[in-house]
Amino acid sequence: MDFAQAVVINTAIIGKGLMIGGGFIGPAIGIGLIGGNYLSAVGRNPEASKFLGQALIFVAIVELFGLLAFASIFIVK
Amino acid sequence: MSVFSLLAVSGPVVHIAPAGVLTIHGVVITNSMLYGWMSIVVISVALIWVARIITIKPQGGFVQFVEAGVEFITNLVHGAFDDKEVAYRYTPYFVTIFFFILFNNWLGLLPFVGEGIQSNNYPLLRPFTADLNATLSIGLVTMAMVYGASIKESGGFAKYLRHFFVGSPKNPLYFIIGLLEMFTDLTRVISLSLRLFLNVAIGEIVIGVFSYLGHVIAPLTALPFTLIELFIGALQAYIFTVLATMYLAIAVNHTNEHQREEHLTDVVDPETMGQLQPAGAK
Repeated sequence: MDFAQAVVINTAIIGKGLMIGGGFIGPAIGIGLIGGNYLSAVGRNPEASKFLGQALIFVAIVELFGLLAFASIFIVK
Repeated sequence: MSVFSLLAVSGPVVHIAPAGVLTIHGVVITNSMLYGWMSIVVISVALIWVARIITIKPQGGFVQFVEAGVEFITNLVHGAFDDKEVAYRYTPYFVTIFFFILFNNWLGLLPFVGEGIQSNNYPLLRPFTADLNATLSIGLVTMAMVYGASIKESGGFAKYLRHFFVGSPKNPLYFIIGLLEMFTDLTRVISLSLRLFLNVAIGEIVIGVFSYLGHVIAPLTALPFTLIELFIGALQAYIFTVLATMYLAIAVNHTNEHQREEHLTDVVDPETMGQLQPAGAK
């Protein structure tokens, strides 16, 4: 007779991997979009380069979500 | 709790939460609190000394740096508010919070802070802003100041609530939009404090990992990330200040309403409309 064997799957590691993988796509695309729009605006009108500080502020606001995904490593046991 | 628990070799040990190192009369003092008190002493002594020796003629060194920072934040705050008196009233708080967060972030990059010195397997000193308790308290105090100031400047709680609604609150669409705006307002405390905490704590972890990867040449491998953390610490202090200023400025500025009402009574002359007017003409 064949008995089914219990396989211990470490679902915590799988969960952490999925969270990191899925959680970093969004902010990366977002920051790329911000950078691209900033560069195209500067290309059209070079005086727009004085808004670099504001662009970096938006980058930090978007980056929060990436950091939240990174912090979830330490929350899931 | 180690990060690389799956590998055979023991990985770098990183700690996110602060750990108690002292107990005075039953009150546990954590390593972040300890270093926070030390930073507060250093920051207060440094800034009070600068305030005493500052002169109209520019000086060099640390005094010039503090002066540049104060001027930077003052220009920022005065640009955000329309009314100069309101700006003068709240500039000291924003300058203070900027320098407080900036120096706490930078003082956390000194070599003896972190995993180097340990007291029974926990670090003895940790940066103050790498502790969620600390950044939550900074965020709560800042938002309490922002709410209190906006209620005072709007002239009452009802008028403060009125500014959330774009049109009339009796319109159901504007009512729901106003409720959503109020909810967004409540999440600002969490986002401000979490952003600051995560940036500094994750920087500490990255420096810890790269110090572990270069066993003997740890100062060399961790140097680029320490420089990045200098930049990120300054940027996060600036962003905290900018966002707090914007939250207060949105609640306090009432220009749009006045402009709409003022320009309703402008008289337009159909003969000269559309032609270039000489300078100074209305």
